[in-house]
Amino acid sequence: MEHWQRSLKSGLVKMFLNNIVFAVTGDMTGWELFKNSLLPMIQGGIKYTIPLTLISFAIGIVIALLTALMRLAKTKILTVPARVYVSAIRGTPLLVQLFIIFFGLGSIGLTIDPFPSAIIAFSLNVGAYGSEIIRASIASIPKGQWEAAQTIGMSYSQSLRRIILPQATRVSIPPLSNTFISLVKDTSLASLILVTELFRKAQEIAARTYDFMLLYVEAAILYWVICFVLSIIQDQIENRLNRYVAR
Amino acid sequence: MFLSVKGLSKSFGELDVLKTINITIDEGNIITIIGPSGSGKTTLLRCLNALEIPDEGVLAFHDGFEIAFGNKLKKKKLMELSRKAGMVFQSYNLFPHKTALQNVTEGPLIVQNRNKNEVLELAESLLHKVGLADKMNLYPHQLSGGQQQRVGIARALAIEPELMLFDEPTSALDPELVGDVLKVIKDLAKEGWTMVIVTHELKFAEQVSDSIIFMDQGQIIEQGPPSQVLKHPKHERTSQFIQRVVNP
Ligand SMILES: Nc1ncnc2c1ncn2[C@@H]1O[C@H](COP(=O)(O)OP(=O)(O)OP(=O)(O)O)[C@@H](O)[C@H]1O
Ligand SMILES: [Mg+2]
Repeated sequence: MEHWQRSLKSGLVKMFLNNIVFAVTGDMTGWELFKNSLLPMIQGGIKYTIPLTLISFAIGIVIALLTALMRLAKTKILTVPARVYVSAIRGTPLLVQLFIIFFGLGSIGLTIDPFPSAIIAFSLNVGAYGSEIIRASIASIPKGQWEAAQTIGMSYSQSLRRIILPQATRVSIPPLSNTFISLVKDTSLASLILVTELFRKAQEIAARTYDFMLLYVEAAILYWVICFVLSIIQDQIENRLNRYVAR
Repeated sequence: MFLSVKGLSKSFGELDVLKTINITIDEGNIITIIGPSGSGKTTLLRCLNALEIPDEGVLAFHDGFEIAFGNKLKKKKLMELSRKAGMVFQSYNLFPHKTALQNVTEGPLIVQNRNKNEVLELAESLLHKVGLADKMNLYPHQLSGGQQQRVGIARALAIEPELMLFDEPTSALDPELVGDVLKVIKDLAKEGWTMVIVTHELKFAEQVSDSIIFMDQGQIIEQGPPSQVLKHPKHERTSQFIQRVVNP
């Protein structure tokens, strides 16, 4: 077993035992509360956290690619809007963006439901951060690759699609995975605009039972599990994409 | 006359890299360009392939295709120019995410939209010709430098260009790998390809060239058959350069 696997395992066991010990004081034993709240939280996860993450990431990547290509273009009509967008998103807190889209727009008559509001905010966020990653990875591909593509007659878009992006993808997978994992965790902010996702469920139950420690740690464990599974998938994708690279 | 280069000039900012270059290349001729580092050899070669856009000058091909630099040119015209010549790079520039075979098929298959079986047959025969029949399914990082460069040559040949350009094709190679690559180029010479080769391999240049161009500081100092330029150079600068290459 690798070191981190071992420490993860022992960490999980410890946390679990602690929960049982400190929560036995309520009407329910801590263990029962843990079990009983697991289902609603997982439901919140499956109904909202995971769809929110997947949909926002998918839309965000498309925005990111378009923004990256705009920034690499040679005319200001394309580069300037892309730069302003990236700068605005990166320069303001995600929570504030979320509030502007939900409460702000709502207050001026443009009401958007919580879930789509969250999708918009998170997509724009992934779009901005992702575009920087994609732009940097395209820029990291040697100029000779563009030139070789040109000398066999490829157009700009053919070179990009067939030669540059496949290589840039390999470079951008690790940083994009970080963005993805951050997104999983950031979706908990959607609880503040009333999306009943995983963390909102934890808050609701905690408000009734006052078992803040147990429920929030339980929520943390669930996020951890999701991110852990994702990082395994990431490793597999990286291994696949690395098959043509000398090691 | 296969290609005439008239009054070609190129500068990078303040630096005049090519100063009114004139060359005539006959069909099936092999021209090698020699000269000190920074003299503009690579730039000249790249101008023949639209990798670099000259500031001035005219390229006129045997089939009537003519391109005059100086004014803004249509992209289509530049692409037509780059399709006329196959380019072999000093650092190979193979596509690392594609196998040797895929590197070669990419041009005819994707750009020229040719029939898949026909392209496979062509690519296999080209890889066979460069001595890599048994390496077709390997990725570039699994090949030696010399093998990679030979894939590079096959890739350039696959688009069936009219002219082949080589920029120091062996200078990134270990000495023992140089021979295989030079042999492939000699084979192409026998097949009658028109080629322009930048090289420091004077012995090779002597064997294959119809004409050798000595360049210095963006100008052609001397041009003639190998027997003249290499053995009895007319210019002081040429003989100094040859001395330096022979006895470094
Ligand atoms: N893209 C560029 N931008 C600015 N200067 C350039 C550029 N490309 C080449 N140069 C300059 O132009 C001059 C000629 O370069 P070039 O590469 O054509 O020389 P070369 O004869 O091929 O040299 P070498 O034998 O070292 O390959 C050099 O001074 C070089 O620094
Ligand atoms: Mg050079």
